[in-house]
Amino acid sequence: MPSRTKTVLIWIVTFFIMLIICMPGLWIILSAFRTNGEILTKPAIWIPQNLTLDNFRAIFGFGENVVGIPVASYFRNSLVISITSTALALLIGMTGGYAFARYSFPGKKPAFLWLMLSRTVPGIALSLPIFIIWSRLGIIDTKFGVILVFTAINVPFTVWLTEGFFRQVPNDLNEAAQIDGCTRWQAFWKIEFPLAKSGIASAGIFAFLTSWNEYALASQLTRSTDSKTLPVGLMDFTAQFTIDWAGMCAMAVIIIIPALILTFLVQKHLIAGLTFGGVKG
Amino acid sequence: MTRLRRTIRENAVPFALISPAVLIILMVVLLPLIFSFYTSFSNYRLIRPDSLWDWVGLRNYKRIMGDWDFWVAFGRTVLFLTVALNLELLFGLGLALLVNKITWGQRTMRTIMMFPMMFSPILVGFQFKYLFNDTIGLVNNGLQSLGLTHEAIPFLVDRWLAFFSIAFAEIWMSTSIFAILILAGLFALPKDPIEAARVDGCSNWQVFKHITLPFLMPFIYIAMAIRSLDVARAFDIVDVMTGGGPAGRTELLWTLISRTAYDDARMGRANAMSYVAILLSIFFTWFFFNKLMEARKHLGAF
Amino acid sequence: MATVTLKDVVKRYGAVEVVHGINLDIAHNEFVVLVGPSGCGKSTTLRMIAGLEEISDGDILIGDQVVNQLPPRKRNISMVFQNYALYPHMTVSENLGFSLKIASRSKEEIEAAVQDAADILGLDELLERTPAELSGGQRQRVAMGRAIVRHPDVFLFDEPLSNLDAKLRTQMRVEIKKLHAKVKTTIVYVTHDQVEAMTLADRIVIMKDGHIVQIGTPLEVFERPVDTFVAGFIGSPPMNLIDGTIKNDTVVFSDGRSVPVPPDFSGKVVDGRRVVFGFRADVLMPKGHTLAESGVLHDLDLTIDLAEPLGSESILLSSFGGKDIQARMHNPRPVKGGEVLSCELHLEKCHLFDAETGQSLRG
Repeated sequence: MPSRTKTVLIWIVTFFIMLIICMPGLWIILSAFRTNGEILTKPAIWIPQNLTLDNFRAIFGFGENVVGIPVASYFRNSLVISITSTALALLIGMTGGYAFARYSFPGKKPAFLWLMLSRTVPGIALSLPIFIIWSRLGIIDTKFGVILVFTAINVPFTVWLTEGFFRQVPNDLNEAAQIDGCTRWQAFWKIEFPLAKSGIASAGIFAFLTSWNEYALASQLTRSTDSKTLPVGLMDFTAQFTIDWAGMCAMAVIIIIPALILTFLVQKHLIAGLTFGGVKG
Repeated sequence: MTRLRRTIRENAVPFALISPAVLIILMVVLLPLIFSFYTSFSNYRLIRPDSLWDWVGLRNYKRIMGDWDFWVAFGRTVLFLTVALNLELLFGLGLALLVNKITWGQRTMRTIMMFPMMFSPILVGFQFKYLFNDTIGLVNNGLQSLGLTHEAIPFLVDRWLAFFSIAFAEIWMSTSIFAILILAGLFALPKDPIEAARVDGCSNWQVFKHITLPFLMPFIYIAMAIRSLDVARAFDIVDVMTGGGPAGRTELLWTLISRTAYDDARMGRANAMSYVAILLSIFFTWFFFNKLMEARKHLGAF
Repeated sequence: MATVTLKDVVKRYGAVEVVHGINLDIAHNEFVVLVGPSGCGKSTTLRMIAGLEEISDGDILIGDQVVNQLPPRKRNISMVFQNYALYPHMTVSENLGFSLKIASRSKEEIEAAVQDAADILGLDELLERTPAELSGGQRQRVAMGRAIVRHPDVFLFDEPLSNLDAKLRTQMRVEIKKLHAKVKTTIVYVTHDQVEAMTLADRIVIMKDGHIVQIGTPLEVFERPVDTFVAGFIGSPPMNLIDGTIKNDTVVFSDGRSVPVPPDFSGKVVDGRRVVFGFRADVLMPKGHTLAESGVLHDLDLTIDLAEPLGSESILLSSFGGKDIQARMHNPRPVKGGEVLSCELHLEKCHLFDAETGQSLRG
């Protein structure tokens, strides 16, 4: 086969696969701007007759057809919970990652391994005892309770990522800085931290996305408007008599947009972090 | 005792630095797990708090060992993971090789490839619930408009179709992790051994089999190891798509745990099941982590 | 006065002792090179002086002050690292000025000091670049510049030239020597390359397995090595070392050939003693190529296996006393393999070592 034809063929096949990847998402986005009536019509209407922002207005409680679901509150909860737990996980994970990257101490390897293993516990399995204990402690169905859990599930991965990024900063630099007159702390802030900064940022974004998208734990630990997150809130729709597909699609768009932006920001670092941490032990 | 003291004093800084991480994992993961391990030996039911002290020994474990529904769910979970992980690997490898060949628009393709990674599992579930819906779903509508079928296909109701639909969603979501990491491996692939192999008279296929693939193995195992941390995410997908139903036809281990714990309120038994699920997850991670370590040693040869 | 004194300094990692109580006095403005094969403890010793490694036992003094417990920043030292350790996120001038900035000096003062260092090392053109934009030699110069900016009491160099190619290494070696002449500071320099040690040092400290084997000027360690290790380590090509036995004031080798006991050693060895006979390639020369005008010469016939012409001289490979040895031809002419040359051995420059301990028998 002539190489030119081959190139074109490969391109077409790849393009088709990309279409399959994009299609479902695009369809959801399109549906978010259609009316529920149009979506339910049989036989199917393929070309949307009129695109509207009503679904978004409705889920945020404006306009005439107010949906009985407090999406605005869920959005706020998701934001508060994700940001707080990310900040905490970064702080805890970064100190831990730095220790693993820079110091040798007894029990280092098993400690690292156990930290990583804790991440493998399925959310639903973890949710059972936490549900009981949090109830006893009175922090069930509170933002604080969820933040605590999300911080913990993000710590192992943050440690893994930041450890990798700190290890890429040669220890020489830290030593050179100490000889140049820095305390250990100054050496960290003035030299090592700036160099690992972008990696740490992507670890943070990764933690944020995990919290933002988490469902298995959140669905058991939250019950009320005060603490439910967006993914949990999405299921509210299914409890209604007729499913408001258009409303659900609009809410899905609300969930995906922050994730979309953040992932684009870190895609490069994320891949580097995952592979470096893994391959170059 | 003095030795322990000395160890702590000599390593005070690193111990202090890792202590917050260790502490929060201890509080939020380990202690609850110890607690749930205890409850798996009790007759604990959510509606009767005092049943927490009702020690029943191994009864919960004996019950689930003899529970047909449990073993069906367990078998289905293992089958599901085997099918999904293998296909994800295969598609991921194929996709990475394709994108690696492309010169025009490669960056865009790579970005699109990351698209499914941004979706939370719950959204993936919802998305395919919507697409595979028997009355208004895109797939059914499409097939009917094209005249390929007149009846609505019950994608989420029929036993095997539902299994297929859920697996499809899972594969759609996770193939990109494989594709992206394998692509990173392809970019890092050293040119010399390949050229040497070509000079030695290897065909394209032989080069792939003897040079490219062994080099990619560590990347594949990283992807597998990362993926195996998250196998339980399938819970989210199933929960929104079918809820394990209808009539338990799509029940996976995780949805069964959820139902036993929260709907039937049998915490003790659900915790016993949880331990089976935890061991399954740890097994997967441990297996691929070991493979990764092995492959990493071989990589040194390049 | 920045002297450096090491008193019984020990370094242990857990139960493993890697430096076994070394003693060393370094004078003000002295250039001391620690040299030895990898794993001999030279870098660890340097890092202990720098304060980057704690010392397990003994004392380190800089000037009159015991610095055992002082962190690096309080020792008023500076260090050039093997990989340069330039801060990648700062420009050259920021790198140079970093230590002064940390010490909260005024902006003018920093600028002046940076300019000074740049002048000394010829970095003027590079001040606004980042380390990534520099060549290996330039990075090396910046690393040295960073070290001199703060006028330290002691300069520490940790294998600074090992990442450069051969040509640059020679060039930078000269620059380091010039730098020492200009800034006049005590220097402790670590390397595994004996040529660097010979060319740079006022005094060489040869280390092996965590012990100091010999301390001396380059000439001393070259001419009077205390044992076979130093003899084999210092000088290129390495000293020829041949096992033999003393018999009637001669050293008899395994192949039956013999040479007289060198004059320095006569009367110090008894018959039957097993020894190692050592001589450098320079002191075994074909007749007519001898540089020594007088002295005790011993005639030898050598069958040449191979000659390596280096231009100004040739290295002759042969075998003698059951060992492969090297000789030197100072006015080269073509030599064929198998050719027999009559040579002269300059006996006064030969050595005897004990066969068991390897110690010199000079006494």
